[in-house]
Amino acid sequence: MRTPLWAAALALVAASSLARADGAAPDPALGDTQILGPSIPRLQIEWMAFRVTAYNQYGSGYQSKSGPILGPGSERLTVFEPQAEIVATQGDRLTHRIWVPIDVLSAASPNSIPKIADVVSGASRHNVGGTLQWSTAYKVDPTTQLSTTTGLHIEEPFRSWNGGIGASRALADQNTVIAGSVAGVFDWFDHFLTNGARTGRTERSSTLGSVGITQVISPGTVANINYGLTVQEGELGNTWNAVPLVTGVRGPEILPSQRVRHALVGRLAQFLPWNGALRLYYRFYGDDWGIVAHSAEGQLMQRLTPTLYVGGIYRFHTQTGPPFFTTRAQDSGELRVADSDLAPLDSHTFGGKVVGDVPGAGLARSLHYEFEYDRYVRTNDLRIDIVTCSVGLRF
Amino acid sequence: MSGRRFSGAALAFALAAVQGCAVVPQNRRVRLADPMMNLNDEPLDAYRRQKLYDAREGAAGGDGNVSGGGCGCQ
Repeated sequence: MRTPLWAAALALVAASSLARADGAAPDPALGDTQILGPSIPRLQIEWMAFRVTAYNQYGSGYQSKSGPILGPGSERLTVFEPQAEIVATQGDRLTHRIWVPIDVLSAASPNSIPKIADVVSGASRHNVGGTLQWSTAYKVDPTTQLSTTTGLHIEEPFRSWNGGIGASRALADQNTVIAGSVAGVFDWFDHFLTNGARTGRTERSSTLGSVGITQVISPGTVANINYGLTVQEGELGNTWNAVPLVTGVRGPEILPSQRVRHALVGRLAQFLPWNGALRLYYRFYGDDWGIVAHSAEGQLMQRLTPTLYVGGIYRFHTQTGPPFFTTRAQDSGELRVADSDLAPLDSHTFGGKVVGDVPGAGLARSLHYEFEYDRYVRTNDLRIDIVTCSVGLRF
Repeated sequence: MSGRRFSGAALAFALAAVQGCAVVPQNRRVRLADPMMNLNDEPLDAYRRQKLYDAREGAAGGDGNVSGGGCGCQ
């Protein structure tokens, strides 16, 4: 009995020595990937945010049918607008952003006319629209990024699809970033007469392009300049807006079927020595309908604690109207529009906000919150109170 | 078109200004990392602002960003 046991032990030792000898010179190229196979980049949620905004609008406009035939009608409107956003990374190079804004409108101008002429639906005074937008950014290398976006918008008489691509490249140790994008939007929606009768479907398309450059100017100053071009074709009105006619009745808008729009935007952010920041924005706009506009905005921020800052906002906008804007049109086939949004106007926006972070909030690295109130006033009789608040989780 | 000439002149000025900027090393950009210094609003805030102005000002949009859609917007 003793000899076989001894022989077995010797055999085991010999076998183990052979195994060690085989593994003594491992292939230097053999790594985890060769042994376990390629790893699949996992989706990792980096950021989730929810924002709710409420608008309470008062005013009147000649395009509205909720008033006397030749006078301005009500533009009374309330909007409840929840939004959700998720940002997730997939490996080191891919970042996805999925975003869903929803608009719940009540007493909207097109709905405020008598039920028989309600152009949206018999439900009247209530309209819901939602969008699903998905953007993906791919980091080619530390200085180059490519991105795509696509989205779908659904609303009662309206469907819209958009898609686009973009690229950016950082230069000079990332002091300069050059970016560009192109996108297309296709809208498909119901066509109505001003009395609310539905006549079928119509559509419009928009092609958009933009180029911009962002430059670090000093350790406390950064600036950006951006040029955008939009070319729109098709039905460029909503089809139900009215125009008062000299004959004492309402007629439909008659608009060009193409619009080419240019916008040049400049932005500047300046850090202030008392732990504050000044953000300035200017926009010049011109289009081939003859509208020229200037918008300027300033935001003054003040940090109160390392995790809390407050800000004040003021924006001024002025625009001319197209030559065919009128509140009393001839009953002819010439271009005409009475939409108060296209009138010559000035607008002012005043606001204030509180922004803060709570570090180490449960499963998340931090909880971000914002609260803002804005008052929008337009010189041609439109006033809006806006309240918005948001909560975000950074993982 | 005067607007086009203005845009071209502004772009040329911006490019010329950029040429004169000194490179700021990354370790001196801590102030630029403060969220208060973001040139753009947080995306959900930017959307609701854009929607507010797109739907009420005929001269809104045209910035090259996807916008519009529904609500009788231009």
